[in-house]
Amino acid sequence: MAYSDKVIDHYNNPRNVGALDKSSETVGTGLVGAPECGDVMRLQIRVNPETQVIEEAKFKTFGCGSAIASSSLATEWVKGKTVSEALEIKNTDIVRELALPPVKIHCSVLAEDAIRAAIGDWKKKNGVEETATVAAH
Amino acid sequence: MDTPRTNESNCWACHASLAASPLLCPHCGKVQPSAGINYFQAFAAVTGGQPLLTLDLAALEREFHRLSRKLHPDRFARASEGEQAWSLAATALLNDAYRALKDPVQRTEYLLELKGQGVGEQNAGRNKSADRQPPADLLEEVFELNMQLEELRMNQKMGEDDPALTADLTRAQAHFDGLLAQVDSDLASQAALWDSGDDTARAAALKSMASLLDRRRYLRNLVRDVKDALATPAL
Ligand code: FES
Ligand SMILES: [Zn+2]
Repeated sequence: MAYSDKVIDHYNNPRNVGALDKSSETVGTGLVGAPECGDVMRLQIRVNPETQVIEEAKFKTFGCGSAIASSSLATEWVKGKTVSEALEIKNTDIVRELALPPVKIHCSVLAEDAIRAAIGDWKKKNGVEETATVAAH
Repeated sequence: MDTPRTNESNCWACHASLAASPLLCPHCGKVQPSAGINYFQAFAAVTGGQPLLTLDLAALEREFHRLSRKLHPDRFARASEGEQAWSLAATALLNDAYRALKDPVQRTEYLLELKGQGVGEQNAGRNKSADRQPPADLLEEVFELNMQLEELRMNQKMGEDDPALTADLTRAQAHFDGLLAQVDSDLASQAALWDSGDDTARAAALKSMASLLDRRRYLRNLVRDVKDALATPAL
């Protein structure tokens, strides 16, 4: 399958690969899998406790090129956003940005799941109320 | 129940019942239009037209060869244009159906698709992430093992041999092989429940099979990758 230029760019030069300290109070970790293919993705965020701004994001993905590109893009997008702004990111935004073909939609879903899981983990650690964050889509 | 077309259809030519043989009239031998016929119905002689998960594989193969011969487009070279097109379509359906039904995992995946519980792209993101996720400990394990695999590959690239890591992976391989075998045996028990249970039991079996198949995909990838990594000798 032909990947778009943006996918290839993120795949060849993935941004923010790595890990943050899982045990830190300010770090949220999302570990998710795609049942469609069995690929797995870990996305971590470090949140400023005062401002709730995501100051750092790291990912590690074992999966296809689209999943790697989607998570790379997701870390770029969440950085500088507040937690609630980051929750606005939809997999369809990723699909559009990376021009993913229909068979690769689930790869973008994986990235959205990972953002939500990371934020959910951070909220749990910090006793932040879980508001209606899981949009029906 | 599954498709607009029912097993009570009749042959377009002689009006005989097609219940036992929807692709080919059992009475006059004419090929039939196959639109709306699902894989289980295509093999009605074996399945009774029902979406059964326990199938006699030898019977399935015999029926496949019998129908392949009878539906072969060469036999319809001089038939009407409609029949020629039907024989092509029926042959394609028969091949797809046989490929899917002969393998227990693909058979189950097809059943779930038929029941709207498949994992195809059309369903991607439809469920909330929490519903789609396997147990956290499985994910952790899968992720950790992938990290070890990456390390092993890196070492191999550098021409280094790390016996401890290789031993770890060999142990992990045995562990995941075992988990995969467990999933397969659980799938078989659920399949039996699906075939013989009442509506409630069937609905429950369907759900269990969907999550077992999800689990299976993670394990299958890992087992494959570990095998590959261990088979590659250090440079
Ligand atoms: S193929 Fe599964 S995440 Fe891309
Ligand atoms: Zn007939």
